[in-house]
Amino acid sequence: MADLTLTVDGKKLTAPAGTLLIEACKSVGIEVPSFCYYPNLSLQGACRMCLVKIEKMPKLQTACTTVISEGMVVATDSDEVRQARKSMVELLLGNHPLDCPVCDAGGECELQDMAFSYGAAESKFMEAKNHKDEQQWSPVVYFDRPRCILCYRCVRVCGEGMDVWALGVQNRGVSSVIAPNKQDHLECEECGMCIDICPVGALTSGAYRYKTRPWEMNHIGTTCTHCADGCKTTLGVRRSDTGMEIVRGDNRDKSGINNDFLCIKGRYAFDFAHSTERLTQPLIRKDGKLSPATWEEAFALAGKNFAEIRTAHGGEAIGVVGSSRTTNEENYLLSKFARMVLGTNNVDHHRTADFPALAAALRGKSGQTASMRDVLSAPAILLIGNNPTEQHPLLAWQIRSNVRLRRAKLYVVNSQPIKLRRQAAGFAQIPAGAEAHAVAFLAGDDAALDHLVHQSATRESLLALRDKLRAETGLVVAFSSEIRGADVARLVHSKFAGAKFIALADYANSRGAADMGLYPDLLPGYEPLTTDSRFAQEWGTLPTVPGLTVPAMAAAAKAGTLKALYVVGANPVARFGLDPFAFSGSFVVVQDMFLTETALMADIVLPAANAYEKSGTFTNTCGDLQLVKKAGEVAGVKSDFEMIVRIADAMGFEVRKLVPFGGGTHADMGQSRGAQSGEADRHSVWLEAHGLEPRMSPFDPVAIFDEIQRLVPSYHVSRLDLLAGNDQHTDIGEAGPGAAHDPNLIIPANDDLFSSGTLGRYSHTLNSVMENKNAPAPSEVGAD
Amino acid sequence: MASLVSHPDEIRVVTKRFGQGATDLDRYLALDGYQAIQKALAMTPDDIITLVKNSGLRGRGGAGFNTGMKWSFVPKQSAKPKYVLCNGDESEPGTCKDRLIFEHDPHSVIEGVMIAALAVGSHTGYIYIRGEYRYLSVIMQRALKDAYARGFLGKNIFGSGYDLDIYWHGGAGAYEVGEESALMESLEGKRGIPRIRPPFPAVVGLWGGPTVINNAETLASVPPIILGGPDWYANLGTPKNGGTRMFCLSGHLNRPGVYELPMGYNLKKMIYEVGGGIPGGRALKAVVPGGSSTPILLADEIDVAMDFDSLAKAGSMLGSGGVVVLDDTTCMVKFALRTIKFYQHESCGWCIPCREGTDWLKKTLTRFHAGAGMKKDIDNIYYLAENMLGKTFCPLGDAAAMPTMAFVKKFRKEFEDHLDGKPCPFEKAAEPVMV
Amino acid sequence: MSVIKNIGAIAKGMSITFGEMLQPTTVENYPDGPGPLKGAQFQERFRGTHVLQRDENGLEKCVACFLCAAACPSNCIYIEAAENTAEQRISGAERYAKVYNIDYNRCIFCGYCVEACPTDAITHGHGFESATFNASALVYRKEQMLSPTPAHMGSNSVFNHADVEAGAPALPQAGS
Repeated sequence: MADLTLTVDGKKLTAPAGTLLIEACKSVGIEVPSFCYYPNLSLQGACRMCLVKIEKMPKLQTACTTVISEGMVVATDSDEVRQARKSMVELLLGNHPLDCPVCDAGGECELQDMAFSYGAAESKFMEAKNHKDEQQWSPVVYFDRPRCILCYRCVRVCGEGMDVWALGVQNRGVSSVIAPNKQDHLECEECGMCIDICPVGALTSGAYRYKTRPWEMNHIGTTCTHCADGCKTTLGVRRSDTGMEIVRGDNRDKSGINNDFLCIKGRYAFDFAHSTERLTQPLIRKDGKLSPATWEEAFALAGKNFAEIRTAHGGEAIGVVGSSRTTNEENYLLSKFARMVLGTNNVDHHRTADFPALAAALRGKSGQTASMRDVLSAPAILLIGNNPTEQHPLLAWQIRSNVRLRRAKLYVVNSQPIKLRRQAAGFAQIPAGAEAHAVAFLAGDDAALDHLVHQSATRESLLALRDKLRAETGLVVAFSSEIRGADVARLVHSKFAGAKFIALADYANSRGAADMGLYPDLLPGYEPLTTDSRFAQEWGTLPTVPGLTVPAMAAAAKAGTLKALYVVGANPVARFGLDPFAFSGSFVVVQDMFLTETALMADIVLPAANAYEKSGTFTNTCGDLQLVKKAGEVAGVKSDFEMIVRIADAMGFEVRKLVPFGGGTHADMGQSRGAQSGEADRHSVWLEAHGLEPRMSPFDPVAIFDEIQRLVPSYHVSRLDLLAGNDQHTDIGEAGPGAAHDPNLIIPANDDLFSSGTLGRYSHTLNSVMENKNAPAPSEVGAD
Repeated sequence: MASLVSHPDEIRVVTKRFGQGATDLDRYLALDGYQAIQKALAMTPDDIITLVKNSGLRGRGGAGFNTGMKWSFVPKQSAKPKYVLCNGDESEPGTCKDRLIFEHDPHSVIEGVMIAALAVGSHTGYIYIRGEYRYLSVIMQRALKDAYARGFLGKNIFGSGYDLDIYWHGGAGAYEVGEESALMESLEGKRGIPRIRPPFPAVVGLWGGPTVINNAETLASVPPIILGGPDWYANLGTPKNGGTRMFCLSGHLNRPGVYELPMGYNLKKMIYEVGGGIPGGRALKAVVPGGSSTPILLADEIDVAMDFDSLAKAGSMLGSGGVVVLDDTTCMVKFALRTIKFYQHESCGWCIPCREGTDWLKKTLTRFHAGAGMKKDIDNIYYLAENMLGKTFCPLGDAAAMPTMAFVKKFRKEFEDHLDGKPCPFEKAAEPVMV
Repeated sequence: MSVIKNIGAIAKGMSITFGEMLQPTTVENYPDGPGPLKGAQFQERFRGTHVLQRDENGLEKCVACFLCAAACPSNCIYIEAAENTAEQRISGAERYAKVYNIDYNRCIFCGYCVEACPTDAITHGHGFESATFNASALVYRKEQMLSPTPAHMGSNSVFNHADVEAGAPALPQAGS
């Protein structure tokens, strides 16, 4: 659109036609205050804070509803305007309780800021304020009516943003009140967006309530550890008697791929870290019982036994199970440790999507994978299978926002009438389990139609849907784990012009686990097990015979050929339904946060830190690489990275070969840094980004990240951008050839909005929400 | 049902069928009913609009916008259906004219809606009746049913090939819904909250379609204009203020009631001759000229012509034609309190200044009238009203602020008489009656 | 003449000496003086160890707003907040200080915390004998700083029921 020129406070500025005045002002640094205006939500004009004087208009106008026009002359700071703002604050404070000292929003309250800016300190009113008692609407949502200024942000973000429509307004005039959908309580997705968006302390969170004050916390931007969407979450941490306690999760600064969106898990389910059942001491089985031991004992025993078994029976006698929730560096290190130190290809993890097949199908074709940001901007989206509202909340948010704000077209092919069909331009409900047929049909095989006709999906409607899809350009295709092996290739090769693909996995770093080669037949970057692979050149001679999958390991253990099992952050016993007694003859080491079913049968249990308590990187299901930063801290646990290195050391392995530490070019010990911490931070980011920071420690994941970037082609991304906190898309098409798999090895996690595998089991918030919903806990217990 | 009043100065255009049983369709037809629509069917839409424009008919709801002009803003072509709405949500205190039209002559409103629909090319009309006027909706339902039964409405009206449906809709009892966009929200089944403008209803209105919305009296004036011609109607009133208008006289008067008088009729004459003067020969204190939201006029300001422009010059507004007369036994603080109580109750709560402002005005005035007022309260009341004026989302805030400011400005002395714990000097006086 | 001048100067000087000798003494006989203060005297405004006040109902005034901790230039105040419940009501507002520690190793008695307090909960008392051989004993807990319950509240069993039953002293002393 054409650019228009206008004058604001004597400043000339240019903005595209159709821009709202409030945004145009913001673009040149003129802040027009507002409560009800919120970018990307519908306009209200209700709070009257953004009144400005526009020349030739008799009355003051709201900047949030006025579209700029050519030659407009605006005053945002005249006496008249300031008086108008002051009187609005005065009126609001009339009924607003002055309980800032106990209000959770105190210190980050927009009304406080406005009162400071426009100085309505003196009260003109003498009568009693209107009062209403506080209400609890759900385990995580509290509502304090007197504090509410009725900006309707919560109503809109719940309705327009989340498509839940659980909040509304009751009564009128001064008795107007925000009300939940079920009279006195909420029935919703408990995402907490309403609390996050509330400019004052009217909506407060049950998880953060009265725990601390905003300025008491440090804020660390990291990546969520729950589903595979990879939301950036900013964790507020505060020192506690056992380290650093995470007290809040949000993304108010709107950085990252998710803007300010977080679901219930990202926002509240960090509390598993402080579960009373958390392991904080290594356990060694003595006389058949797991009893506390020191770290040194545990590492020495693990190292001694692994070394003996490797020497006596060879590496094939040791199995390694990795995790979908540990960092890329840890997964890579585990992969390397298994091959290099243990000498085995018996490496596996719980697979939730067929990434090797996608890598194979897209081999050599770069630019055909979509990032999470692409979902927000694509003109059309095709979703096959899955229910993103439950399983991929961010993906669902991106799709909804794209449809709402950019009029993107969504096409849904699903066996269930999933909620996203409400946004869909085309919806085909196919029979359960017919996803593969749907792919065949979309790829051009009309014979597959017979398997698809079902309920409202007729032959004609399906053909029409396919025609519409073929007419779209720039389609983003997201497909569920039911699409595996050859079906992935078929889908990728179907005739959709310029389509980009997303394989939907289930855990925070499922993609990373796949990318880092936690497969018995693939090395990092989907490299095959050849003698001349770049990893063989780097790491030395590696075993080339494909190893055992998890079920095969159990069978081998039962047969007595698998002598040892090393499990890092996984629960294969529960997830794969293994017989725990199969391993009674094997030496089992488990690294985990809790005494899971797998940990219970172990000989050594090592208490592990979770992803909020360590640093590294995660790759989300789209392939977006993001930083994981240490936020919380619990005394008595160690990161998986450190434990792997310590075990290698205890086995007598030269650790420097495993983690290339100590190699940096300059030993900058801080002497060249400025006095101000900001400068020091920038300096260290710069050094780290250019690989100049010395790797002083064998436990430094950046040393491994260097190696990943060097050896895995798809991870050749901008280091500087990554460290600056931005997401970097890794293109699986640039990776190795991948391979076909036994489809039965892909097991969906079946987590919904309120469950998250083992983490969910120990999250007080998730459990209380579940109880509140009277929903039966998922019968299937989580694995990772 | 109230008995009808009359005065020789009345010119009966809208009220000509009152008291003659015109609720009955046959009787209505006998009294020239449905003649105008048949005439209009023979005209082009543009001709109808020009005719109405030339008649000088201005909206009778309060704002006084030229009706023909309003109709001409509706685009000729529209992808979405166009609508005609009749605003019968008459709730302004002191105003009771639409009620009489619905009660005595419902078909004239229907006919007006039909002509408006023809003029803008709409095939759907709605007659929105105030929630409290439940008994009138019964009359309107019967009138609509009769009109459908004769083929005046529905498919192919009067054999012209034009399809037109008209529905009635009852409000839920909210003054705010008298605001046109709030009425549309209410009609769509939502809370009666005004919409952001632009876009204006003529472009994006009910269900997103172009919409004409007129007051019931305005629409009831249209059939006589079509039949009598624009010049005849325009000449009834003063230049730029065509025709007649129903004035609702109430308060301290000997003969209160609704009188149809030509526009520009002198207010003083209206009070002392038409309304029969003040009972007991008491002195006039003040007059609210156009419903409770218009600034009050003092006794020496009433020699003014009752039309939109003259009253604007006098610092008030013609509004909806509700003339409330107050004699010297009236406590103006109490009157201000009574007025603001209404607005506090009726504020929809959407925007801050109106929601909070009316509430604090009410609280302050209540205390003030009870004798616990302080000197600074007087300025405070003015300050509150001043800060509402022109800053609210819709005109309701202005409607509460303007009279309040006028009360403080013109009767400051009376406010001061309430200070220092003194009892209200008028406490024994009769409360003014608003019809 | 200079001799007379010198004698005069000595006389003048000594007159002050002898004159003052006869005035009442202002020396504080601390710690040998009488009474619980051992002879120490204070101005009312003296800023000693802190006292956490109670309201007229015996409830703690502190609502754990953390403003004192924020204002503290030496970062010596540590608070953990918790929510009052119907059964266990500690403060007058929704929230109370579950833990309230002041580290007197660090405190500089500047009084900023008192200035910052929105509920007048923290005040400076006159306690000053805080020297100790064990630095960890200088971290005062809430119980050490809380003002005694008003006499009419008796043992404050309503509000600290559980504590009283567990044998805690019903009337904690300030600065003890």
